[in-house]
Amino acid sequence: MLWKVAWRNIWRNRTRSLVIIIAIALGLWAGVFASAFVVGMMHEKIDSLIKLEISDFQVHHPKFRDEQDVRFFIAEPEKLIEGIRREEGVRGVSERLVVNAMISGPGQSGAAQVFGVDPEREAVVSGLNTYIDSGAWFEGIKRNPIVLSHRLAEKYHVKLRSKLVITVQDVHGEITAASFRVAGIFDTKNPPFDDRQVYVRRSDLDALLGSEGKVHEIAVSLDDHEQADPMASKFAAVRSDLEILPWMDLTPGMRLMIGMLDTYTYYIVGIIMLALLFSIINTMLMAVLERVREIGMLMAVGMNKMRVFSMIVLETIMLTMIGGPVGLILAWGSVNYFGKVGINVGGSAYADMGFAATVYTRLVPQTYLIITLMVIGMAILAAIYPARKALQLNPSEAIRKI
Amino acid sequence: MNEFVIEARNLSKVYPGAVDVHAVNHIDLQIENDEFTAIVGPSGSGKTTLLNLIGGLDRPSTGEILVNGHQIHDLTDNQLIDFRLRHIGFVFQSYNLIPVLTALENTEFIMLMQNIPKAQREQRAIELLNEVGLGEKLHSRPTQLSGGQQQRVAVARALASKPDFVLADEPTANLDSESAFNLLDIMARLNKEEGITFLFSTHDQRVIDRARRVITLEDGRIVSDIRQS
Repeated sequence: MLWKVAWRNIWRNRTRSLVIIIAIALGLWAGVFASAFVVGMMHEKIDSLIKLEISDFQVHHPKFRDEQDVRFFIAEPEKLIEGIRREEGVRGVSERLVVNAMISGPGQSGAAQVFGVDPEREAVVSGLNTYIDSGAWFEGIKRNPIVLSHRLAEKYHVKLRSKLVITVQDVHGEITAASFRVAGIFDTKNPPFDDRQVYVRRSDLDALLGSEGKVHEIAVSLDDHEQADPMASKFAAVRSDLEILPWMDLTPGMRLMIGMLDTYTYYIVGIIMLALLFSIINTMLMAVLERVREIGMLMAVGMNKMRVFSMIVLETIMLTMIGGPVGLILAWGSVNYFGKVGINVGGSAYADMGFAATVYTRLVPQTYLIITLMVIGMAILAAIYPARKALQLNPSEAIRKI
Repeated sequence: MNEFVIEARNLSKVYPGAVDVHAVNHIDLQIENDEFTAIVGPSGSGKTTLLNLIGGLDRPSTGEILVNGHQIHDLTDNQLIDFRLRHIGFVFQSYNLIPVLTALENTEFIMLMQNIPKAQREQRAIELLNEVGLGEKLHSRPTQLSGGQQQRVAVARALASKPDFVLADEPTANLDSESAFNLLDIMARLNKEEGITFLFSTHDQRVIDRARRVITLEDGRIVSDIRQS
């Protein structure tokens, strides 16, 4: 019957209870949805980063990434590549030459990072061929084809079949140059990427550098990003003379960001709950102060303190647990819906930062369970002060309160 | 069985202040089983304070209170609450029913706190509500009942725990004449037929006329104690 009393007490002031229930529901929904949006946006960014830019894990000479010296090749890569290819879950392996170069077009020069790749293998790893919207991925030009972005094409005033000169320092430290013709132009909608990287055939860059078939970088793409860390560790253990790093260690701060993403939702929801906590305390305090005489009577006729406390706690939990699930169901529905159809955020500001124009909301299922536990915890916390206030009533005085 | 259901010895209650207020001043009182006693006196004479002390709602400054021979003035708060639950029935001036419960549930509620099984408490609640003439109003909430009907539910609730006695603080103060007489008839019948001891404070002459014993207080002291036929 205590449950019945608590339940009915909630509806004594229907408007007030509905207001707080709606506040809890909307607060939770907003918190969870906002988190799912940010998590989705960051995952889009990370997925794009992994796929297009860094792949799941990479292999380098230990000094190559820091010094970018053209002579820091990967020693004896063949056996390692063969071993990687044999692993289950490996989608593709791309060996690359990577060199900082000067590019000269008609009337314009600038710096760029030139990647010498095997077109077929690179297409599997980075999928850059899918972003080509003018020309083709290393097709149509027989000698020294080059693929670059629209932004660079505009910068160097070139179009398909135009000539560009790449100047680099070869393995002997000599400055050397070769001309290339534009075979394809891509647009990844990722300006930082598009402004920096151009692609040529590895054999062409090899000839220019005099690298004799050696490579600077092995990029590996996997079916599951989660396997990058263990697989990179596995090969790193075998080849301690090389730097073999998973995607989260290839970009500064990425591992930290991933860690933060896992807890981000709880911070956001926690802050909203803190605000809701005071609203619930206020509501329950009003409910207790309005019923001083009734609570005094209950204590007078023999309701012990534990039962009085339980009654107030029950009311608070019930009030919260109506709004909580409503908010979570709303959040679950909207996160799932926009996880499928996406939200078009448009705008070049996002694109300039490398974010996708469409964000797919996402949240791991266990988040809902943890948030539910947080809501229950909040309800109990919110109940304590009003319940203590009720316990402090003196029944002989309380029953005379008007 | 003790000779007295209630016994107060040298009972005092002082509210300290710039000038101490002696709400109850060295009172000795014995109430026997089956009594139907009214405590009367002008406002501020100490009627309610005396009832609060006897009911364990307030603690005396000095003196002792015994209920069926048990000292109650030195019980802890929790022990007092439990004692009230098992030994004392209360009827308040303002009915003080739980507004979200029906008449039946209000009557049952006190038995729930005594951990009496559902079937048993429902049967007793129905019997009691029938006794106070509310057999047709079992499922009405307090707002659907008149003042007199609510006070009769309060009497049924007070009796539900099978108390040693019932304390009623100005039970007819908010009732019209008809409701007041009706309630007094019920209380008198319960006293006479079932031997329930009633002790009530009042300045309602209708109640005083029906009481078999009238104790008059003035300035916290008993100034007269009359048994009437």
